[in-house]
Amino acid sequence: MSLLITAVCPPAEAQKKKTAPVEATPPPVREEFKFGDVDLEILEQSDLLDRKLERDGLVLHDDAANAYVRRIGQSLVPKGLELERVNWNFRVLRDPQPNAFALPNGSVYMTTGLIVLVDNESQLAAIIAHELTHVMRRHTYVQNRSNRKKFLTMNIMAAVGAYAPGGIVGAVIIVVTTVAPFILMATVYGYSQDLEREADLKGVDMMISAEYSPEEMVNVMKLLDRDIEGENIRLFYNDHPSLDERIKYLSSYLGTRADRVTHQMELNRERAAYFKIMEPVMRHDIQLSISAGRFRSAVFHAQRLVDFHPDSENLFWLAEAYRTLGPRLPQLTDKELTNSAKKDAAKKRVKRTLEEEEQELLATPAGKENWQKHQQKAEELYSRALNSENPVPVVHRGLGMLYEKLGRPSDAASEYEKYLELAPTAIDRERIKKRIETLRRT
Amino acid sequence: MKLTSAVLVFRLRALIFVIASLLLIGFTSHSINAQFLHPKITSKETAIRTVVVFPAKVNVVRDSMKGPEGMAAESDELSVRVEKVITEVLSKQKQVATLSPPTQGTGQGDAQPNYNVADFQTKFDDLLPKIMKKRSDVKKGRFTMGDEVLNLNLEKTTDAIVFIRGEGKKLTGGKTAFTLLVGGAPAYLKLRIGIVDARNGDVLLYTDPVLAGDPTTAVDRLRKALEKGFKKLPAAQAKP
Repeated sequence: MSLLITAVCPPAEAQKKKTAPVEATPPPVREEFKFGDVDLEILEQSDLLDRKLERDGLVLHDDAANAYVRRIGQSLVPKGLELERVNWNFRVLRDPQPNAFALPNGSVYMTTGLIVLVDNESQLAAIIAHELTHVMRRHTYVQNRSNRKKFLTMNIMAAVGAYAPGGIVGAVIIVVTTVAPFILMATVYGYSQDLEREADLKGVDMMISAEYSPEEMVNVMKLLDRDIEGENIRLFYNDHPSLDERIKYLSSYLGTRADRVTHQMELNRERAAYFKIMEPVMRHDIQLSISAGRFRSAVFHAQRLVDFHPDSENLFWLAEAYRTLGPRLPQLTDKELTNSAKKDAAKKRVKRTLEEEEQELLATPAGKENWQKHQQKAEELYSRALNSENPVPVVHRGLGMLYEKLGRPSDAASEYEKYLELAPTAIDRERIKKRIETLRRT
Repeated sequence: MKLTSAVLVFRLRALIFVIASLLLIGFTSHSINAQFLHPKITSKETAIRTVVVFPAKVNVVRDSMKGPEGMAAESDELSVRVEKVITEVLSKQKQVATLSPPTQGTGQGDAQPNYNVADFQTKFDDLLPKIMKKRSDVKKGRFTMGDEVLNLNLEKTTDAIVFIRGEGKKLTGGKTAFTLLVGGAPAYLKLRIGIVDARNGDVLLYTDPVLAGDPTTAVDRLRKALEKGFKKLPAAQAKP
């Protein structure tokens, strides 16, 4: 019924919020799935991966954040659904790169980089719903079986090629494996276009069933399309549908399923609640971003956090982001966002260290100007953080580092001393003590 | 003497075989002996007496006719074994003592020490491709992980931290036969080991020993490869 109404409604009509409860769609489960030895192996490896992620310190131990994502996840899982060999687990990973994935055993992971990127709970629910579909529809097993067949074919082709040197099969295989190994990689890792599309569309259905705003699925895709660090390189071959394509087919699907379009005010309220809960995770991610040399992301996310809540700690993180951004531009230019420029940048990232990149930029007038501007901005922000209510001691450490870089050793040493006085048990006390010693000697 | 085309083809094939063999030998021996020391070590300005070995990350895949499959459990076991053998080699050959790394594992309680170790492992993973791109620059003292290394709060006596990475391939019976007939990479284990100054983060040594054969069973060959891998590292002497 709802399908028919929205199909004949003009767009303006579709914007009206529907108050009646949404009819739940049947759970998208691959019921007929029979486990084979190959699937059980994958399952065992998933359990091992869970343990490895935990053991390697990659799982975030923030009770509030984990409880929050668990609640969202459980609200999306159709009521009464029991799946063989699936035990739902929702966790946050400490990684500044926006990403989410689900293991076939029911473990759903999302990175801090994703949490800091999304605007509200519905957007996070969109990602989780997409990942839940992969598990419910047993996509990992399906893809694994398909890859195994492909590999067998590749091996046979390699044999044929080897016995017919110079022949077309051999040449193709050689080109594929030596010149463009990513073709193989793209086929092996990740799901096929069909499976990704299914996860997107079933995800929308699940969001509607759980009363989340389904249009946020499209909005989150748009957010993911934002390439702050210039990392999204389009390859010659990619098995995943492009984000543009996903936005198109999701918008079209929502046109036929737009039985709940949320008012902006409601979304704003949701955004405020989301930021309030996720604030510590977002700060943690900014720290990880700085450590990983993702300075532009750090500035972008810290600015959002300051816009939401300009307290001392958030101002400190924005100042840190600007200080470490140094001579780089806060946003990549259009030229830097072209595919060829991104490829060049990726090659340079493997060759140069961050310090070398900074030195190269500082040798240019534009780099020098950026550096001065960002150090000034950082100093202003540090001082705002110090003048805020309940200033955090780390601000003094940040100022110390700034002054050290600006060639003011005495000021730097006294800021470091203030920091240690206010935070005598800080984890980095040894590092700071050593810096003070060096500065006092010079 | 007039050369027939068959003789020419034979000679050409023989030449290609010799060149390929020389290249293979050259490559293998280079990999085994590739050790790069920071000038502070070669000039004996810094000595490595005590180290902390961070958990090794060694991944092995089983390559069968149906493609490569992960060997998560075996990789974990191998990681532990590699770590243990490195500790033994450093201790017996170089008189380097090993201390326990900061708390890691349970993830319960205060997560910060666990995070610190994880973050340093990630930092090394980030630096590793740059080192591999120009390994000889270790000799120029180009690579550093920065003084953040002090945030690990290791024992005062710790001179360096050992980071271990590795990748290997084990072949199934079918794939071995296939490789013999058609060609392809044999079973191997390639390690990438970095030793980092615990006081300022400088990369003091980089070595990448390789061993041929099944990585999950070759214990003696692993030890020998590692002994060769640390050959250039000066043995520790007691503090004066």
